[in-house]
Amino acid sequence: MPEVEIPIEKWTGAVKEVKLGGGGRKEVVVGGETTLPFLTFEGSIPNPPKVAIEVYDKEPSGWPSPLLSAWGDAVKDPGTWAKKAVEFGADIICLKLLSAHPEGGDTGAAEAKAVVDKVLSAVDIPLIVIGPGVAEKDNEVLTAASEAARGQRVALGNCEEKNYRTIAAVCISDGHVAIAKTPLDINLCKQLNIMLSDIGVPLDSTIMDPDTGALGYGIEYGYSINERLRLAGLGGDAMTTLPIINHAGSEVWRQKEAKTGEGVPATWGDHEERSVVWEAVTASTVINAGCDIVVMCHPKAVERIKATIDKLMGK
Amino acid sequence: MSKFIATSAIRGAQSAVAEADELLQDALQKLGPDAPIAFKDKAGGGTTFYLPVIYGLLGHKVGKLGDLVPVVEHAKSLLPPVPSEDLWLPYLGETLDAGAATLFAFETIEGVRFAKGEQPEKRNGFEYNGPISDVQARSWGIQLVDGRMPGFAAIVGAAKSNEVAVKIVRELQSRGQLIFLCSDSSGRSMVDQLQEEGVDMGYDTYIVPFGSDTTSAIYALGFATIAALSFGGVAAGDFRRILLYNKFRCFAFVLALGPVDDRKYAAAAGAINYGFPVFADTVIPNILPTGITQFEHVVSMPFDDIPGKDDLERAERLVQRCVELRGIKIKIAKVPIPGAYGPAFEGEVVRRADLAAEFGGKGGMCFEWLRMNEMDDVEDGKIEVVGPDIDSFEEGSKVPLGIVVDVSGRKMQKDFEPVLERQMHHMLNGAEGFSHQGQRDITWIRIHKNAIAKGFTLRHIGDILHTCMHNDFGAIVDKVQVTLHSDPEKVKELMEQARVVYKERNARMSGLTDEAVDTFYSCTLCQSFAPNHVCVINPERVGLCGAYSWLDCRASFEINPNGPNQPVPKGTIIDESMGEFEGVNKFVYDHSNKNVERFTLYSLMDSPMTTCGCCECVMAIIPEANGVMIVSRDDYGMTPSGMTFTTLMATVGGGLQTPGMMGHGKTYIASKKFISVEGGIKRLVWLSKNLKEELAEELQEACEREGVPDLMDKIADGSTVTTVEELPTFLEEKGHPALTMDPII
Repeated sequence: MPEVEIPIEKWTGAVKEVKLGGGGRKEVVVGGETTLPFLTFEGSIPNPPKVAIEVYDKEPSGWPSPLLSAWGDAVKDPGTWAKKAVEFGADIICLKLLSAHPEGGDTGAAEAKAVVDKVLSAVDIPLIVIGPGVAEKDNEVLTAASEAARGQRVALGNCEEKNYRTIAAVCISDGHVAIAKTPLDINLCKQLNIMLSDIGVPLDSTIMDPDTGALGYGIEYGYSINERLRLAGLGGDAMTTLPIINHAGSEVWRQKEAKTGEGVPATWGDHEERSVVWEAVTASTVINAGCDIVVMCHPKAVERIKATIDKLMGK
Repeated sequence: MSKFIATSAIRGAQSAVAEADELLQDALQKLGPDAPIAFKDKAGGGTTFYLPVIYGLLGHKVGKLGDLVPVVEHAKSLLPPVPSEDLWLPYLGETLDAGAATLFAFETIEGVRFAKGEQPEKRNGFEYNGPISDVQARSWGIQLVDGRMPGFAAIVGAAKSNEVAVKIVRELQSRGQLIFLCSDSSGRSMVDQLQEEGVDMGYDTYIVPFGSDTTSAIYALGFATIAALSFGGVAAGDFRRILLYNKFRCFAFVLALGPVDDRKYAAAAGAINYGFPVFADTVIPNILPTGITQFEHVVSMPFDDIPGKDDLERAERLVQRCVELRGIKIKIAKVPIPGAYGPAFEGEVVRRADLAAEFGGKGGMCFEWLRMNEMDDVEDGKIEVVGPDIDSFEEGSKVPLGIVVDVSGRKMQKDFEPVLERQMHHMLNGAEGFSHQGQRDITWIRIHKNAIAKGFTLRHIGDILHTCMHNDFGAIVDKVQVTLHSDPEKVKELMEQARVVYKERNARMSGLTDEAVDTFYSCTLCQSFAPNHVCVINPERVGLCGAYSWLDCRASFEINPNGPNQPVPKGTIIDESMGEFEGVNKFVYDHSNKNVERFTLYSLMDSPMTTCGCCECVMAIIPEANGVMIVSRDDYGMTPSGMTFTTLMATVGGGLQTPGMMGHGKTYIASKKFISVEGGIKRLVWLSKNLKEELAEELQEACEREGVPDLMDKIADGSTVTTVEELPTFLEEKGHPALTMDPII
């Protein structure tokens, strides 16, 4: 066999390292890679991708049975849920303040503060807090969450093009990390990063969520946007070198392949196994394209992804 | 710099520092150096920022009396001498130093008062607020950053009357501006005036009475400092960034009502350090050049000289002017018209049967004219209807209408007039029951009966334009005034004037050549689906989608400097006739994911522009005819290339460079730069019939310019030729010039 020389790409950029936690809480660092995902022969990957597990601020309604049976009664209380997520291997808790949505309970600052306090005291791993996605409510509850978590460096989202200033302001003031969300568009993503940086959010305190779809529901867009951001960032464009977060789990669990157990063709196979695979494949796709934090739902899918990451990192 | 102001400010600073020194020495003797100092508001809300101005600017923590000693020493060292009678200098640096010394002295004085238990102040049974607590500073600081609150007005002194005081406060509140009150003039203060009028003061009403002394003005700058430290991510002691943060992010100003004494001049000099300009309602010297503040430094607006029918109107204008001078932009949440407004109504058609009134269209007269004016000649928000209004029109009648929009703005340019004017179509169409077509003097407007029934009148056209101009173009427009003319004679007269301007604009556009500018603009709007595609838009070539001209891009860049239209400097000219520039090549390479290395602006064969997929037309070489064909998006028929528009577009789209094929905008065909490398319009052998008709005039002009006046008759279209076999025969019959030109390949 002749010797084959593996071509090595020389990148000029590196992904920024962003630290979460601290202040008595476990620290998790994401980003820092100087090469494309898992190409350890080409550059360094100091921080392999991390898994965040979703926890809601209220008991989920209409959840698919595989998720319900995996979590059991834990979902009745965010603190218990978060503890169980740690047992299932979460590196980070992703707390979603769904009840603040005007149509989901319309809770306010006080409730947000209470639930953040509760989750923070239940677990010692870092926290991501996501608002209900309605500008006015996001600003209200994330401001409260920010205050409650001061000194413990959580990530707050989502900053969007039309509504980012308030969230950015509290992140700067309280030393948190801002999550910048854009809809599958590299230029909008970069533009939002620039705008956040312009109003004073340091680059090492920003994570970008370029959005993704589930397997069969636009995952190629998610793959492509991650990849393009990484290629641009490693190629030297500083404004695209931030760590990437993808909400793979929630994307999967709103599709019928994951949700539906009855009235589907027998060839779809066992409901639980099918949905877990669906989530695991979606998650592994985005991490292979450059994702640094993958947010997931089902413990078995988490287990598989963690094993996959270990294998890819040569462990 | 005014010598008068410099002298007064320096004198004021010297007296403030002397007073601080004296107070401090006295307190040190009586209370000792360990007497604690902690700023608190009247409710006991404290701060973790020590004495915030001293902490922010010097990085020095004051927790007890003794900590103030070095502060006073530092203030002394900053004090410049009072300018001599016979020596004239620029004074700016000295005055600013005096201002800084004043701030340290003021904060020292208030600090000592806190140590002595004299603060927050109580006077005549009224409790002043004292400094702003951290809790409140956080809540307001967030609003400052997210833009809900532009900044604050620090009001020093008393207004002309109680009535005026209340009006000023209400006007400021309506603009979301925080109001800080301090100091008096001749023993009376705004706090007294508001109290007498029963106006609530406190955090809840956004009116904070700091104290009766000018020194309490320091609490305003303390707040500004805390905002920079908390929300600007600035470290204590980094005075430069604290000052810059406030200059650019906190739209604050000082409003001095009544006579200005030395101490107030000194305080004003301190505020200017923060980029906060000072406005006075009395006669004082102006400092107009900009620099430390964003715009003018000191502006005098003698109250009684402000135009207005009474004091209340003068008060309103005073605030309006302050807001303008500080560069505060207003945002209007909702378009204030009866009936709905939104993009859902844009495509609405008003049918004849539902017609309340119609302006323009066949046989009618209607025009729209947006013009730039001097700041002082435009009154923001003024909407005037000259002539009869809608209620006096016969139902369904055709009435003449002239819409004249006067705008002004510090960043407005004459060249942006047509760009903004063209947006009126889109703005007006958002109204329910309103349809707008055309532009300039071919505007055609129809209003639905239902809209009138809801109360729509002509002035609401003005309301829509005023609101949308501010909301969409606030970055370049500061003031908008709209006049609606419905008197036939007047409309006719103004339309003639407008036509002269339209002509001038046309002439300007045709004079705007690629050679005349040193910067082109990019458009990367379509990279979401065509990642490697970059449009470069030059004056003589519209964007390939037809939606963005060079001027549009320039305005777009002013409005959104981080947006998709970025300046592309031409840089070194590589080949002018090809339209190849080093700057363009570099930009395209960097922004096409390093996929496109060369880019010519005028060639179809050598490194042509790429296409996203939005092009109005596709051009393709027809070797058999030694020329090119152009098919438009609206042409569904077959072309001599053997492909329809859709197939051709799929071939060139996606950001691939395809020599011999290219997407472009319609008007490019009539440009002087139309594939000039290959010989220009003389190469055109086949053209979609609808384009021939739509662009008949422009194309005829282009043919004449190129010395082939009868060319259009020699160009085939879908009605005469649809296959490549037919084409040479057709061209030979007509004697098309392409046949005798150099081989295109």
